[in-house]
Amino acid sequence: MGRLRGRRWRILLPFAAMAIVAAAIAASSLAAHSASVIRLAIMSDCKGAFGGAYELDIGGAEAALAQYAHGKPVSSKKPSAGMTGITIGGHPVKIVGYGCGNDTVPVAISETKRLMEQLKADIMIGPLSGDEAVTIAHYAQKHPTKTFIIGTAGSQDPTLQIAPKNMFRYHGDGAQWNAGTGILAYKKLGWRKAAIIMDDYSFGWTSAAGLIADFCGAGGKIVKRVFPPLNTTDYAPYVQQLPAPSKVDGYFWVVGGTGTGPSLKAYESAYGKVDPKKFVGNLFFFFQSGFADVAPRLIGAYYGGFGNAPGLKTAGAKQYEATMKKWFGPAGFNVTDSFVYNYFNAAHALVIGLTKSGGALGASLNASLPRSIKAGYQVSNGGQVKLDSNRQAIADQYPQQIVKGPDGKPAAKIVGYVPGVDQSFGGFFKKTSPPPGRSQPPCVKHKFPWAGHIKAVQNGVITKKTIG
Amino acid sequence: MSPFAWRPRPMSEKNLVELVIGVTLLLFLAVFPVFGVGYWVSFVLTQTFLIGIAAASLVFLTAYGGMVSLAQTALYGISAFALGNMVTKGAVKGLHLGLDPWLAVVLAIAITTAIGLVFGAVASRSAGIYFLMITLTYAVIAFTFFGQVTQVSGFSGIAGIADRTPALVGDPVTQPNRLYYIALVTALVVYFAIRHVVRTPFGISLQGVRDDPVRMGSLGYNVALHRTLAFTFAAFIASLAGVLYGWWNGVIAPDNVGLGATVDLLIVAVIGGLGRVEGAWLGAFAFVVINNYVRDVSVPVLGGSFNTVIGLIFLAIVIVSPSGLMGLWDRLWDAAGYREGSGPRAAAAAGTAGPQA
Repeated sequence: MGRLRGRRWRILLPFAAMAIVAAAIAASSLAAHSASVIRLAIMSDCKGAFGGAYELDIGGAEAALAQYAHGKPVSSKKPSAGMTGITIGGHPVKIVGYGCGNDTVPVAISETKRLMEQLKADIMIGPLSGDEAVTIAHYAQKHPTKTFIIGTAGSQDPTLQIAPKNMFRYHGDGAQWNAGTGILAYKKLGWRKAAIIMDDYSFGWTSAAGLIADFCGAGGKIVKRVFPPLNTTDYAPYVQQLPAPSKVDGYFWVVGGTGTGPSLKAYESAYGKVDPKKFVGNLFFFFQSGFADVAPRLIGAYYGGFGNAPGLKTAGAKQYEATMKKWFGPAGFNVTDSFVYNYFNAAHALVIGLTKSGGALGASLNASLPRSIKAGYQVSNGGQVKLDSNRQAIADQYPQQIVKGPDGKPAAKIVGYVPGVDQSFGGFFKKTSPPPGRSQPPCVKHKFPWAGHIKAVQNGVITKKTIG
Repeated sequence: MSPFAWRPRPMSEKNLVELVIGVTLLLFLAVFPVFGVGYWVSFVLTQTFLIGIAAASLVFLTAYGGMVSLAQTALYGISAFALGNMVTKGAVKGLHLGLDPWLAVVLAIAITTAIGLVFGAVASRSAGIYFLMITLTYAVIAFTFFGQVTQVSGFSGIAGIADRTPALVGDPVTQPNRLYYIALVTALVVYFAIRHVVRTPFGISLQGVRDDPVRMGSLGYNVALHRTLAFTFAAFIASLAGVLYGWWNGVIAPDNVGLGATVDLLIVAVIGGLGRVEGAWLGAFAFVVINNYVRDVSVPVLGGSFNTVIGLIFLAIVIVSPSGLMGLWDRLWDAAGYREGSGPRAAAAAGTAGPQA
């Protein structure tokens, strides 16, 4: 081998520099972390259909860390700017990173690996959406020394069919959120035959499962199920598959995110103006992305809640809302938003768990995380959200209605109180039964625990009047 | 004596330097897991190897067949989906047939290669923008098929693939070094296989088809068959990446073969350089590192993070060095040579400038 002629060797310098930088980055991964620092990651969606809730979610979690763990937000307007001074039981807690999902499986798993393996988080609060939670539940199974507290995700699988022992959810799934709403359609609206259109993925299926089980349990029939794929932009072919309005008493509309508006427009193109009494939906009827073009069409329509109850006049609700306003209210956050509420409860539970475990992680923390937690919008069970044996919340639910607010704009009104809804719907959904899907659950008559116990809510006060 | 018989080629100074760099890098990679940098082993480098393999299938088609394919992501996804459906068991989505892990691997590769044959046969009579559009159609078909046919996936995808790997692979979570070395060896095999194939009579006539298909056709070469076989070979390479991805990630979902992922693979290949196979892994490394380490970076004025940064890099590469990082290396080398009076012209005069095969 001859030596390199002249100064040609110099062109190797940039490559050598790159190698050194890469080695330095790799070495930084090896840097020892202080054993006593508890490493926390918060994951939400900063892109995709729920990207608008990113700061809200983080803000919810950080409000709990501020309230119960001495944390100080770096910015009251931008929670993702970080937090300092978090200590739990004398142990410092460091937020090592914020995961940025986009409602898809590949990014969810990639971000989870980055947070848990690159940034070496011990605990994750998150993710935000259904498919992400399914994926991360499988990841959690393979990483038993880490702890995962779902932020807000409505798929059933993570805590019923998969149910890793290191995964916790302190809020309902999509089916739980709709408990009681199908019964209202049957009893209050007098529906007997209905069709359903649902997003073709785990949250859409789970959300629809709650409505189908509830409605059919009361005696109703689902005559047609239609499932548009995620990210559909033209819903006309799917609306055409639905029976005409004259053939059914109503439609369950489980199309979410940015799809709700276009799907309703497609319906209007086919059948004329939406009749709110013939439409019952899920949380997306009154949702951030649809305030402008969805809710105004649906004044009077009922829909399943989101586990939260804005305007509920209970001491717990007022205390929770005051806490949230204290930390992030000035930034204009909607403190009654369920994303905020669910992330808040997740972080609050973490503080309780770490205090009890004395800062111990892994199995000790999993054993110490509370099996019941006081939550703002919970009324039954002494205001405590209880976890079942799969570490899934048994929580109160609140069917809602879109009404015209004092300012003439659409507003959400709580119409019902469904106490203590468990994920299995009193044993109807089982670990061994197929998870919700296009044909699951079947439409069968069934008496659910809350049937005959749904109370009317008037002006934010739970009355004794039974409405379903 | 056959004109294609092997004979030692004179090694240029540049070839020699590249050989030294390559061998050094390989030795470094071989001992890297010993240092115990877990995340870099299990995430950054293993991912680099397998994405590089998928990108190499695209570089092969582009550099030697003149075919810019947008179907390579779909093909590698098909392989992972096939593996997932055949190998998984129990409460996961898909067919979960629970086949023997090695049998599932063989079938996944065979199915993907067969689909590549069909895809290639259909697209082989097209060129340029039409070829690009046909392969884009394949990508959309794959995304839509796996998203909507819930029997084989659905949008939630198939999880649990890493739970049933062959004994040789072990558990990718607790034994990441095994998959690291398997991916590294596979990448090497793919690299040398491509280098070998392009020097065979088939490979040389394929390059002729790339340069002037009309003339090759008039000389009696079956242009469409050459393109079809090249596409099939590339599908085979992509299928290897798909199997590795299934083991590595444990889950495969339609978004892995969506338009975003399709464009990502093209970006990887362009960043590395569409003209040289080595560029596939160089581009994959740059892509993975940027993806991981600029997540929290916000670009002044423009905002955003990963997508903005990778977009700016892509833009810079297209403007400064359309032939990617490998092309940049070539240009730097040549530029240094001109200064010293020993550049390509001098090398050509000395008879040492060889083809870049």
